[in-house]
Amino acid sequence: MSRQQWIGIGVLALAALAVPQFAGSYWTGLITQILIFGLLALAVDLMLGHAGLMSVCHAAFFSVAAYTTAILQVRHGVPAIVAAPAGLFAGTLLGVIFAMAVRTRGVYFILITLALGYVVWGVEYRWSSFTGGDNGVTNVPRPVLIGLKLDTAEHFYYFVLVVLAIVLAAYRVLVASPFGLTLRGIKASESRMTSLGFATARHLFVAFVISAFLASLAGVLYVYYNRFVNPVSASFPISVEAVLMAIMGGSGTILGPFIGSGVFLGLRNWVSSFIEFHAAVIGIVFIATVLWAPEGVMGFARRVLARRRSGASTR
Amino acid sequence: MTGAVLQAINGISFAALLFLVASGFTLSFGLMRVVNMAHGAYYLIGGYVGLSVVRATGNFWLAIAAGGIAVVLLGFLVDRFLLRHAGDNHLAQTLLTVGLAFVVGDVALHIWGGDSLKLQVPMFLRGATELPGDIVYPTYRLALVLFGVIVAIVLWLVYRKTQLGAVIRAGVDDREMVAATGINVDRLFVLVSALASFLAGMSGVVGGAFLTLHPGAEWEILVYALVVVIVGGLGSLEGAMIGALIVGLLDAFGRWLLPEFSYFVLFAPMAVLLLVRPRGLFGEAH
Amino acid sequence: MSATHALEVAGVSKVFGGLRAVDNVSLSIAAGERRIIIGPNGAGKTTLFHCITGTLTPTSGSLSLFGTEMTALPEHARTALGIGRTFQISNVFIDLTVLDNLRLAGVGTSGRKWVMHRSIDAYADLGDRALASLRQVGLADRIDMTVKHLSYGERRQLELALALIGSPRVLFLDEPCAGLSPSERRRIFELIAGLPRSITILMIEHDMDIALGLADRVTVLHHGAVIVEGSPEEIRAHPEVREVYFGQR
Repeated sequence: MSRQQWIGIGVLALAALAVPQFAGSYWTGLITQILIFGLLALAVDLMLGHAGLMSVCHAAFFSVAAYTTAILQVRHGVPAIVAAPAGLFAGTLLGVIFAMAVRTRGVYFILITLALGYVVWGVEYRWSSFTGGDNGVTNVPRPVLIGLKLDTAEHFYYFVLVVLAIVLAAYRVLVASPFGLTLRGIKASESRMTSLGFATARHLFVAFVISAFLASLAGVLYVYYNRFVNPVSASFPISVEAVLMAIMGGSGTILGPFIGSGVFLGLRNWVSSFIEFHAAVIGIVFIATVLWAPEGVMGFARRVLARRRSGASTR
Repeated sequence: MTGAVLQAINGISFAALLFLVASGFTLSFGLMRVVNMAHGAYYLIGGYVGLSVVRATGNFWLAIAAGGIAVVLLGFLVDRFLLRHAGDNHLAQTLLTVGLAFVVGDVALHIWGGDSLKLQVPMFLRGATELPGDIVYPTYRLALVLFGVIVAIVLWLVYRKTQLGAVIRAGVDDREMVAATGINVDRLFVLVSALASFLAGMSGVVGGAFLTLHPGAEWEILVYALVVVIVGGLGSLEGAMIGALIVGLLDAFGRWLLPEFSYFVLFAPMAVLLLVRPRGLFGEAH
Repeated sequence: MSATHALEVAGVSKVFGGLRAVDNVSLSIAAGERRIIIGPNGAGKTTLFHCITGTLTPTSGSLSLFGTEMTALPEHARTALGIGRTFQISNVFIDLTVLDNLRLAGVGTSGRKWVMHRSIDAYADLGDRALASLRQVGLADRIDMTVKHLSYGERRQLELALALIGSPRVLFLDEPCAGLSPSERRRIFELIAGLPRSITILMIEHDMDIALGLADRVTVLHHGAVIVEGSPEEIRAHPEVREVYFGQR
């Protein structure tokens, strides 16, 4: 990484660490949410920005992981050290099953993931004897980390930050790796990839499972943050909003999904304080992003930087 | 035994509605390569408009026409001002139409409220009919089956037996070629899009008389329609018919035998299709 | 079927609905041979290539590469046996850099493509091979450019580099010079002519001079079937070929 990039990361890290010192618990909580949904958006973006497939079922992995952890802890008293990995496993396993969707491309893939995600929502909603139906699962305890109970906004925020730092470091290597390049190759020209010797279906399958794992991780963090989960967590709007966040922030980048999450949740938080038409506003944001900012914040920043650089070199 | 027969009729009558909804979606994609995630919102708004018309005039047929036309107008505006910017980009189309669906759903919520509403069925279709085997079944749902069959036959005849249908089929097959033969492709698209919109709006009225209209209904019906076209194959009219039957029957029997898992039953045909024939029963290789 | 033959094609046909695009074609290519496939437009040459490389599944017939039966193998597995190909219409990774294009081609048949825990930059040899391949085709100075910004001719050069970097045993070239300027054509022609005999070459070509200049043997296709096969001199003089191409006896 260049010196510039190290400095950038340093600044970001310092800012992130400083948040709870300057923000109250409400804002710290909001930023924690932004990080969690940013991770969900990152999960979606592995498929979208790298492999070129738009999945709208990732809320299913998110939700199943959350429910698994919640039910184990609340109803069976299982400690977090077991419940959290179990949640991760359940969500990822669902990802392995739903990965059959990679037998399709383009529109078919979108439609199938939409339907698959809906099935999970429907099961969570109807199987109320197990899932609690609309009421969901409540009173999920915060995990205890080597004696430290993470029940303040500040402590939980730092916990999420640490988890994210590890995940992002790994994700960065993943997308820069040969495997990461194969995904971008598939997106650029799948026919050329098969001609070059790649079994593209296998690569997409693995990518999908990894992306389901990341979504599951977001789900586990979410259920600990929220201390509650219900079928809304598996709903289509959650999935498609994750897609929008990735695009708004800049698809194909590492920071993009988090920037998008910040912009989206920040906007929704702000707007909901004075307008009743929440969903309509979200809808307009979708439309506006697609029409006027499809490259997102990172794309815009890159273009500005490139222009500056080429402007500077002509002087 | 009677239970099974009852569920079969339930399934078939639901299939009739699903066909009405899915046929518009599949034609839209087949010819214009447009994926319209607001198709469910079209259904909902058509239904609500029809509801208001029935409340005001008591005339069900007028309601069907009004619901259909309202969506035709909406659809025209959407095509002209929104979808034209997305071109063939399915990702963009999806996000644009999802955004549109959010807006339409929210507007509908504020106009018609959050309660579950039902349209009043016309007098002559109220009550139940006696069927052989001591089965008493709501007349309206039987009429729905008849209506669905009639629409299916009309659509099929137009699609397979008329000049217009031939042009549409040619366009589905190769859009550039059709344009090259001098046929006004734009007008063709407007026509087919209007037809798809009308079907969506009309099915909202027809469906709203036995299923309820409520916030969220636009997504529920869309998902069913999507499973229908996934199973039947995108762009295929015959696929929409067969797919609707399969989904309708599976849904009815699923609800009867495994009420808590009925949504899971929808998953099964999709999984089978995906593993065996990803493009659907009648879908084209893409 | 002789094990010493680089490629054995036996009775391959490809039928699309009512159209026999490839009609019972049989070929026997010796190791190191330069076989040129010629024929008028629509003769089925590219379709034949697709059937052999696995881009399309033949309706009937069998194929083997250096004695290994490959009729049932999917495209990527056939590539792993040692096939490299260029496409008639440039099929390169437009949104990636030239370097990434070649690195992908470089790992296509290697287990390295599954590595997730190291950056691809850590594999210096991939970059070196990419550079060497680009020097071979004359694109070295474009290595960091996004392919989107390359000219048509440069993309054809890249197309060739992608096929060569994987060290193929059998190279399938589909009109590699199509749409190029005379000097570009000469360059590509010289490059192909200069390839070692350790690579067997099958080439579809429209330009008779190039074809007959490079060829050891020529196969002429018409309406999907082989009508004549022979040395360049035999083909040049053959009346049926003259009729098919020039409409004269």
